[in-house]
Amino acid sequence: MSINRQSHRVRTSAKVLRAVLVIGLLILLARIFQLQIIEYETYTPLSMQNSLRMEVVNPARGLIYDKNGIILVENQPIYSITITPSRFNEEKIPHLSQLLQVEEDLVRERMNEAQQYSWHRTSRLFTEVSFETFSAIQENLWQLPGIGHQVESKRNYPTNVKASHVMGYLREATREEYLASEKILLGDKIGKSGLEMIYDDYLRGEVGTEYIRVNAFGQELGSYEDGMLDMAPKKGADLITTLDAEVQQLSEELMVNKRGGIVAMDPQTGGVLSMVSSPQYDLSKLAGRMDSEYWQQINQDPHTPLYNRAISSRQPPGSTFKPFMGLVGLELGLITPQTEIYNPGYYTRGRRYGDLADPGNYNLEDAITYSSNTYFFWIMDRIASRGMLDSWSELIKDFGIGPKNNIDLPYEVSGIVPDSTYMNEQFGDRYWGVGDLMSLGIGQGMVSASPLQMAVATSTIANGGYRVQPHVVSAIKDRSGEFQYTNPVFEKIEWLNPNQLENVKRGMRGVVSTGGGRYYANLDSIEVAGKTGTAQNPYGEDHGWFIAFAPMDNPQIAVAVLVENAGYGSISAAPIASLVIEKYLTRELNRQRVLDYVLDFRSKETQTAEVN
Amino acid sequence: MINSKEFSWSVIAIWVAIFSIGLAAIYSATQGPVSQFLPEYIQNNFFKQAIWIGLSIVVLIGLQFISPRTFQGGAYLFYALCILLMVITLFFGVEVSGSRSWLRIGPLNLQVGEITKIATILAAANYLTSRRDISAENLKTALTTVGFFILPVILLLMQNEAGIAIVYLAILPVVLFWSGLPYGISLLMIAPALIGYFTVLDWMWGAIMVAIVTIGIFLLQRRTWLTATSLVMGLLIVVGTEVALEQVLQPHQRARIESFANPTLDPLGAGWNVLQAKTAIGSGGLQGKGFMEGTQTQLRFLPEQWTDFIFCVVGEEFGFIGSSLVLILFSLLLLKMLSMAINHKHPFAQLVIVSVTFLFFAQFIINIGSATALLPIIGIPLPFMSYGGSAFLTNTIMLALCLNLDANKRSFSIYR
Repeated sequence: MSINRQSHRVRTSAKVLRAVLVIGLLILLARIFQLQIIEYETYTPLSMQNSLRMEVVNPARGLIYDKNGIILVENQPIYSITITPSRFNEEKIPHLSQLLQVEEDLVRERMNEAQQYSWHRTSRLFTEVSFETFSAIQENLWQLPGIGHQVESKRNYPTNVKASHVMGYLREATREEYLASEKILLGDKIGKSGLEMIYDDYLRGEVGTEYIRVNAFGQELGSYEDGMLDMAPKKGADLITTLDAEVQQLSEELMVNKRGGIVAMDPQTGGVLSMVSSPQYDLSKLAGRMDSEYWQQINQDPHTPLYNRAISSRQPPGSTFKPFMGLVGLELGLITPQTEIYNPGYYTRGRRYGDLADPGNYNLEDAITYSSNTYFFWIMDRIASRGMLDSWSELIKDFGIGPKNNIDLPYEVSGIVPDSTYMNEQFGDRYWGVGDLMSLGIGQGMVSASPLQMAVATSTIANGGYRVQPHVVSAIKDRSGEFQYTNPVFEKIEWLNPNQLENVKRGMRGVVSTGGGRYYANLDSIEVAGKTGTAQNPYGEDHGWFIAFAPMDNPQIAVAVLVENAGYGSISAAPIASLVIEKYLTRELNRQRVLDYVLDFRSKETQTAEVN
Repeated sequence: MINSKEFSWSVIAIWVAIFSIGLAAIYSATQGPVSQFLPEYIQNNFFKQAIWIGLSIVVLIGLQFISPRTFQGGAYLFYALCILLMVITLFFGVEVSGSRSWLRIGPLNLQVGEITKIATILAAANYLTSRRDISAENLKTALTTVGFFILPVILLLMQNEAGIAIVYLAILPVVLFWSGLPYGISLLMIAPALIGYFTVLDWMWGAIMVAIVTIGIFLLQRRTWLTATSLVMGLLIVVGTEVALEQVLQPHQRARIESFANPTLDPLGAGWNVLQAKTAIGSGGLQGKGFMEGTQTQLRFLPEQWTDFIFCVVGEEFGFIGSSLVLILFSLLLLKMLSMAINHKHPFAQLVIVSVTFLFFAQFIINIGSATALLPIIGIPLPFMSYGGSAFLTNTIMLALCLNLDANKRSFSIYR
């Protein structure tokens, strides 16, 4: 090969190689131009997403106070472990389960659940782990990509007040619920009963967002831009209730080992001072990670602890119905306060209706005090035979017996106060007569009411004829400290005449001073007025009722007590009501004998557990 | 002793600029906020690299005092020694992340495969130019040259260092081409890589590439058998690659190969590195996020950011300005070296310089191509920038050789 040819070849080869170099460099230059200049907008958000994680910050749920500012429901921190399935490596399951001290299968099961919800969103893997477990996970986070931790809160009940049916419990929102609301996320707890349910929107607050810088391992490095983009969560509003913690607690103690309900309220406002349904359940066992065994137990308990007897049960009011019968009789013009009716020991209408009161003449006041059946059978007889059933029904309902009273609690039921339509439905058109209605006059048979309805009705007598709307929450205090007051109904019942009410009140005062309530309901310090009642129960022992208000001249508390399967109201319900009144008005209990008696008292077991 | 007037100071300036940028990037990748996630031995990488650079500067200066004839004369011996060391490494080497390619000599960990590059280039160049009648035009000579390269490649593959092996294979066609291998056959040599690459992108592209290469070979060589060979071989590569991808390889292996073109197929697996590298570079924009401010780098979204993905650190923190500066510096270096080769009269020196130039070029293209998702990710360091003492020293020695040969171009002549 000649030198010339060779040098020619070298020059050509050099050109080719130089071209290869230049083309290669230009391709790379074009590529970085494409990535960094043209597609800059594409990659910047990607890098932001990589290094920033948006986290939902749960707001603190609102607190619940009693009327004196005592906190009844608050929040307590709990520790949760979360998972983002897309970032989690299944090979880490053994390590994770070892740190959590649970079975691998359980971890796998929870992980699958989270995957089904979302591959990319963060879900709770385990809630309410111990602080030690939480710390162990925290230390090992860098080895566990996709695993995170959260501090959340659960409801805590700092006092001895249970008030389970009033407060209610929280449970995780169902799929329908979180899909239906923008504000509810998977895993969020929402109120499922009681105030927690009714005021859920107020209590919940608004979630905040927080941007956290993270690295490729998901380790948190701190806030982004000093938190300038973060949205603080908005704390839920607090509820100021009308409950009196001391009275509530006493009411609960008095109802232990009994089935039934107590409603005590301020007759001047309708504010509920205490409300108990017994048996109760333990809210703290349903807070945070639910004790599923306990949940099953209270769901299967034949005494139905989840059922709120104070507002959801319906029982014939028995003789507690008599004061209202009297007022209706006066309004319908069937009697005057002076009308005297002779009780021979029975009332005859087709058959003999018994009367346990001593034979003799009774006016309205005495008929209430000594609970003479004859007097009220006489009134009911006239109502029935003169076709005044519908008017009677209307007037009774004006007291709040029968209709719902729109308390701010769920599952309130209406009672039954028959009218002709109801009778037609029950017996068939006109297949009913006076005989079917007679027992209504003494609060037996078809008429039925809840303790709440009886408390509302008692308030109406106590406050001089005003309809009250029972309520538990008096004000909602939002996070800025502003109070939003609830505006319960309080209106005059036009037909109720103060003089007539006075007669009935005196009759009720007599019940406590000289009648059936004198043993257990009479207080030395306060003039209590009340009425005993016994609901006939075809399934077992009768139910005891007592309604009362005090003090006589300026009533500040009205109470209705129902004790199921406990016999006469005078010996079962009356002592309970009087202790509640004594506690509320004097802040102390001076009758150890009565207290011990009540604490020892038990509802009789029934053969069949009946609801309603 | 060389004449300092003949010395190419501009190449030194470019070299210093490149390794300075590299050093800054290593600092950011290991000493920045990211350091909290790194074990201590990696945090020390910056200082270790600085020491290696210092050592390399001494070696570079020292090499200027050696006669270029020594390189030529000692080439075979050096080659034999390196091959021996590689064999020793195979048995007594230190295993680092799956490859047994490191030999511990005193306090130093030496990657013999890197040093062997120099020996191979020198030996092949010596063989091809020592006798006037030898050139790659002769098939037997060409095959012998291939042998010089294949031997270390086999040893490297046995050491599980496919990345370095690819570099050897990449410069082989250039060596043969420069030594007179006909253009058509040279094109045929690089055809498999081109066709394979385009087939992975899409088999249609592969087929088009076969047509282009075949036509190119026909135009260059006008030999029927060669053209036919090219066509048959090309089609076999297309079919073979397709069959391998679709039938032979497991889905995850396939994903690893195809992920550079389509990282979103497996964003958390094979595509992760590709996505994170592209994101790092792309989010750098024009000016970059600033020194030690790159979130992708500092939050460790980039893997091996002080070695194979060092370019991403530059791209993210110094933006298009920084990364195009790196490209321009490399362009200047490589073009300047190519000019050195052309201006040299001695074929040995020419071939050595061309080989070194394309060795750098191959590493440069593969590294940045990987980082910018133009090529599948092949773990190769960026010359003079990535962390790695052996590679830095080897590359510096090669540069020093070229500088030495260039500076001695008057005295080192075929006529003397």
